This record gives sequence, C-alpha cells and structure tokens, in this order.
Amino acid sequence: MSILRRPTLLFLIVLLLVPAAAADRLTVVSWGGAYVKSQMLGFILPFEEETGIAVDVLEYTGGIDDVRSQVRAWNVRWDVVDMELFDAHRACRENLLVPFDHDTLPPAPDGTPAREDFLEGSLLRCGIGNVVAATVVAYDHERIERAPERIEDFFDVQGFPGRRGLRRSPKVNLEWALIADGVPREDVYQVLDTEEGVDRAFRVLNRIKPWVDWWRSGEEAVRLLETGRVSMTSVFNGRVFDAVQRGETFSILWDHQVWFMDVWVIPRNGRRQELAAEFVRFATTTDSLARQMRYIPYGPVRRSSLEQIDPEIRRQLPTAEENMVTAIEGDAEWWAANLDRLTERFERWLERPVMVPRDRPN
Amino acid sequence: MASGRRCGLGMAVLALLLVAPFPAEAEADEIARLQQQLEALQQRLEILERRLAAQDSRPVRTPELTETPFETELLGEAVTGAERLEEARATAVPEPSPIRIGGALRFNHFFREDVRDSRTRRGDSGFDLFRLNVDGEIRDIILSAEYRFTPDMDVIRSGWLGYRFADDSVVKVGIHRAPFGLLPFASHNYWDGVPFYAGFSDNHDLGIAYERSDGAWETRLAFYKNEELGSAGTLARYAPDVVRQGDQQNEEINRFNARVAYTLGQDTGCEHEFGLSGQRADLLNATTNGRGSHWAAAGHLDSRCGRWNLQLQGARYVYDPDNPPGVSNDSVRLGAFGTSFDLAAKGKLAVVNLAYNFELSDSWFDQVVCYNNYSRLIKDVGGGRDSELNTVGCSVGAGPLYAYLDLIFARNMLFFGEGSLAGGDDDRWRSRFNINLGYYW
Repeated sequence: MSILRRPTLLFLIVLLLVPAAAADRLTVVSWGGAYVKSQMLGFILPFEEETGIAVDVLEYTGGIDDVRSQVRAWNVRWDVVDMELFDAHRACRENLLVPFDHDTLPPAPDGTPAREDFLEGSLLRCGIGNVVAATVVAYDHERIERAPERIEDFFDVQGFPGRRGLRRSPKVNLEWALIADGVPREDVYQVLDTEEGVDRAFRVLNRIKPWVDWWRSGEEAVRLLETGRVSMTSVFNGRVFDAVQRGETFSILWDHQVWFMDVWVIPRNGRRQELAAEFVRFATTTDSLARQMRYIPYGPVRRSSLEQIDPEIRRQLPTAEENMVTAIEGDAEWWAANLDRLTERFERWLERPVMVPRDRPN
Repeated sequence: MASGRRCGLGMAVLALLLVAPFPAEAEADEIARLQQQLEALQQRLEILERRLAAQDSRPVRTPELTETPFETELLGEAVTGAERLEEARATAVPEPSPIRIGGALRFNHFFREDVRDSRTRRGDSGFDLFRLNVDGEIRDIILSAEYRFTPDMDVIRSGWLGYRFADDSVVKVGIHRAPFGLLPFASHNYWDGVPFYAGFSDNHDLGIAYERSDGAWETRLAFYKNEELGSAGTLARYAPDVVRQGDQQNEEINRFNARVAYTLGQDTGCEHEFGLSGQRADLLNATTNGRGSHWAAAGHLDSRCGRWNLQLQGARYVYDPDNPPGVSNDSVRLGAFGTSFDLAAKGKLAVVNLAYNFELSDSWFDQVVCYNNYSRLIKDVGGGRDSELNTVGCSVGAGPLYAYLDLIFARNMLFFGEGSLAGGDDDRWRSRFNINLGYYW
C-alpha cells in the first residue's frame, strides 16, 4: 500500500490515533466545586492538551475506605486521588499507596531541585502536597475597636473586648490555646500529647468560653463577622478572600495560622501508575500550581510558584514567606490518632456552661 | 461526556485524512498541505469543544481564561478538600426532631431533724415524681407541655401553644409561667424559696402572654383570666394560687402582668439583668360576690459574672379581699400540693441568692453548682414572725442524672414545725437534709 510507504505520514497518523483510541485515560479523584474547577483550569486541561491523555475527574468526600477496597480487590479504578493529609498518612501506613520518587519531580524554573523547592513536609513517602489552606483569625477592621496583633490577643477579652467565633472542633483551638498560654509553637503537639497539656489547653479555652460563638461551617464563621455578632473569629483563609471580594472589610491575623494541605496520592495495584505519576509531576510543577492559584486563594506548596504570583496577591496567601513566620503546621498524623478522643471530650466540655445556668432541672 | 465527544471528532478527522488521495511525487507539498489542514481542523475542533463546553458544565480551555486573580465570583466559594470534609461532617449532623418527648423520674431522700420518726429512721426515701414533657416548634408554632405524677397528685404544670413572629417575639396561649421577678426561678435548690410558696415565683396560670427582646431590653406582658385549672376549689396544683377553702372564698381573676428587664453587658461573660415587675388582679369573693383587689411589684438583679451568680429581689404585695363580715382580711388562703395554707394579706419578700459553678476538667460530672439561697417574708399584717428559708447545697449533673443535695434551714416557715406564712410565732430554726436524685431525658 502506498500509505505504508510514507513513514512521515504514518507517524502523524499514529500520533493522532494514540489519544483517539482512548488507550490512555486517567481517572483523577478530587473534591468538588470551586476547588476542582481551579484544578481543571490550573493543570488538568493543560495536561490533556499537552499529553493528549483524557482525564476523567470524579468527586469524592474523603476517607480511605474506597481506596482500600479497590486496592485490596486489585480492581483499582482511581488512578490519582487528592487526599487530605491525615488520610494520606493513614493510607500510606496501610500500604495502600505507591511510594513516590521525589527525585523525578521537575525542578523549579531556576533549577532549584524539587526537594528544596517544596515546602517542608509536603513531600511524603506516598504523596505529593499540592495546596495549603489555613485557619486564621479574621476581624472587620472597620468595626473593631482595637485590631489584634498576636494570637494571644484573641484570648484577651479584657484588652480586646468583644465576642469571639471559634470552630466547634478541638482542631486548631487547642493549638492556639497552648500558644496563648506561652507554649512555643514547635512544642505544641508534644504538650498536647500529655493529659496535663490537654487540660492546660482546655483551661485556657475556659477563660474565653462565655464570649465564644461556636460555628460549624466556614459560611457560619463569615456570617458571625458580617453581622457583627463577634469581633474576631477563626475562619478558613479562603472564606475571608471571598468575603473581601464581596466588599466586606475583613482583615486576617496571620500570626500562628494553622495550615493543612491536600496531597496527591496514587493507589497501589493500579494499571496506569506510570501515567498517574506523570500526572502528579505535571500537576505539581511550578507553572501548574501558580496557574491554579489564579482561581483559588490558597497557597502553593512550591516556593517557586509563589514567585510567579503577583506580590500583592502573594502576601495574602498562607504560604507567603511573611505569613509563615509563626505558622503552625497542623500535625495531620497526630490529629488522625487523637481526633475522635478529643472531639468527645471537647463536645462534653462544650456542654458544660461557665455561667451558672439560668434554667435548671425541676 | 465532553471528552468522549472530543474523541469522536478526532476519529472523524482521522477518517478524513485516511481516505484522502496523496500524489507520491509531491510528498513534501502534500505534508505541508496536510499540516495546514490539520491546523485548520484543530482550530475547528477547539471551536466545537468550546461550544460543547458551553453546553456542558465543564470549564473551557485556558485560552478563554483571563489573568484576573481569584475568579471566585465565577467559581463560587473557594473550599479546599480539608474544609469540604468539615462541611460534609457539619451537614451530616441530623436535624433534630421538631417535637421532643422528655421527662424525668425522681426520688427523694430526706432527714428532718425536728421530727422524731425521721431521726429514728435516719431519714426517709421515696418516689418523688414522674413527669412527661412535650416540646417542639414546627415552623413558627411552638408547643410546650408538662404533666406531673407525684404521690400526692397528678397535675399539669404547663401547657401552651405559641407563635413566633418574624421579629422573634412570641405570643403564648395556655398555662404558662407568670412573668414576675427573677426568672425562671428565684432559687437554685430543689426546695425552692419563700416567693414560690407565696405564689410569686414559678407560678403557672391560664392566660395569654407576649414576650419580646430588643437588644438588651426584654419585655413580657401577660393577662391571666384565672388560675390554671378553672376551679379555684382544687388544691391539687403545681404552685400555690388563691383558692376557695373554708371561710376564705376568694379567687384571683383578670390578672395583668408586666415585666421589663435590661441586661447590662449582654452576651459578655459578665451579665447583669436589672428588672421591674408588676401585677394587678381582681379578687372575686364567692360569698359576697364582691370584688377585692391584688397587686404586687418587684425589683430584681440577676448578675452572672464568670462562674458566679448573684440574685437579689425585693417585692411588695397586697391582697385586699372583699370578705364577708367575720372573715379576717389579714390573710388569704392559698392552695397547692393537695393542701391549703394561709398567706399574710400584705407583706414584703426578699431574696438573696449566691451560686458558683465549679470548673470541672475531664471528670465524671458535667456540672457542679453550689449555692446559698436565702429568702424571707416580712408580714405587714397579722403580727406574725417573719418566715425565713436558707438553703445551702449543691446541684450535680452527670449525663442524664441530676441531683440536688440541700441542707435547708427554716424559721416560722410552712411545712417546718408550726411555721406559717400568715402569722405564726415559731422562732426555732429547723433543718431538713434533702437529696433529690433524678433521671432526666
């Protein structure tokens, strides 16, 4: 056949046939809403465009049960999963994930090796961090009498009058309580590891308990500030940006922000592990992360990505250098081991009023 | 789905390419031409993909994206995985049922030092109460009811329907607590204080009430047609009311109540509620068919600062009955708990309560409140000694269990020796140790 005598043309056809035959598809599992959209626009569509590999994006709600059952059945349908850090630790311990070779990650544009470019703690044995979200203190600078400058000010209701908003969870609250009681940030989890340490944190929370409104969702936290119900509240930093874009006059206290990150992981026993690794490498390049940050106000785990972001925007991200000075890295492993126990205690503590109750059993 | 359509379009392009004729002698030109075609087709593909993307919910490719940072308005609110999980957990909390059924089962153990049998037996124990409660709110309709079974009587304590207005104010119709003085109770203990036995605290009657809050101000207005059971001769009632018994044939009708309170430091850890209350009623005498009158006024302070609670109340009341000749106007007859007793027709009430809520670390107990409650009735007519109650004790809560441990001292007080709320001259302090243990659900 004449066609077979034309090698260049044949090569072109083969190139075109590869994606068209749908031999290379990748299933990426992530969260929903704005977050996955930022991923789509940041690197998933560019990945498809550059490699010709179609990416199917599925939504999930966290946990490791699905991954566990797929891996154990050798029927892995999820090639790459965007996991919460403490789930990634658990899954890695259970040997459900493929170890990642960090040396295969591309360096920063200036040649800085990936190991130096990524934030400390974001390169896991079984995963690669992607974005950082932080819990911070926010306040309305138009309304507040005296703006807080340190996390200790949040716990000082005499010097900084007004009600406070806190998330109905022991996470972050216990860390901040210890910081306010003089514990250095690097010792927080060590202190919390003892019963005395936990008691100490609860004692500090006791001091402000009568002034606290407890919120469950980020939306509630913002509402507390919007309505002037509280003078300061803990809140996820992304929510503050949303509110500011709507015209609210909110400011963030970055002191002792507590940050957590999401992690890309590859389940074991999958059939497209190499392709999955290629995706993760692409998704965590300097350009990909910087591109994603245009659409979501969270911090990239690569320092070089930050450099590509407008300085005005950069200083509003959790991973900006000046915001990281006193930052606490939420210890995902510690919380994975202690969350249930402390949530039970926290809920019970919450039910105990500080004031003498107005009503009583009768 | 969009990617599937894209693959289909790719295959169509390939099919076009495969069936196209290629002259062997102009291979280079052909390839150039093909490349041009490919580029044109790729552009066409992009246009088609954008149209598909516009039809689907999937976002379009990057060429259409602007460089504007944080396009959160386009994207919706920014929520990371970590936060999404918390939100999912938060929304996973099931909505409570709009109607709640509750109740309590309680037992008492008491030791009366002034009663020989009690001393001999070193106290007595027994069933105190079984009660059922129904509470709920469906849309803006509120329902609340409580029925009590005790060894002496089965009685309704409260039962009302309410409506919540858009401004959060509430109107109640039915049997509910009269707004007077310290609310909801003028004590912290199980045995309660003198105002309760005089009918000026935790008193439930049948009527209509309106309650509203305006910032630190709270207003309660109420009108009660009569006592809650519609029968002033009935003694089996939760709290004392004027009853028709013996030569005393009065009953309270058409009572108006008003109570205004202002809270200083509201929603801080140190709140001080200052309040004024007043009530005015007719006293209908069944013998004379004449109408006497009744009024009462009170001022109170309810200060909750940190773990401390200080309650102060001063009240003045007057019953001016239209009794037939020969019946004393110095007292009115009250009835409750299946019995009746007299109250000085004019008097003053004083309350001084102090309580402290103990800080508990990770203990078995959820709450330990210790208190001293003092209350006194100063009788303006009849010449009797003042009636006094002083209770020192603690209330302890642990899960569904709640206990009151009270040491009660009383002088010239109803239910203690010969004590009376009208006249009486018992000058001895008598005591009673009372433990009330309840299971509440």
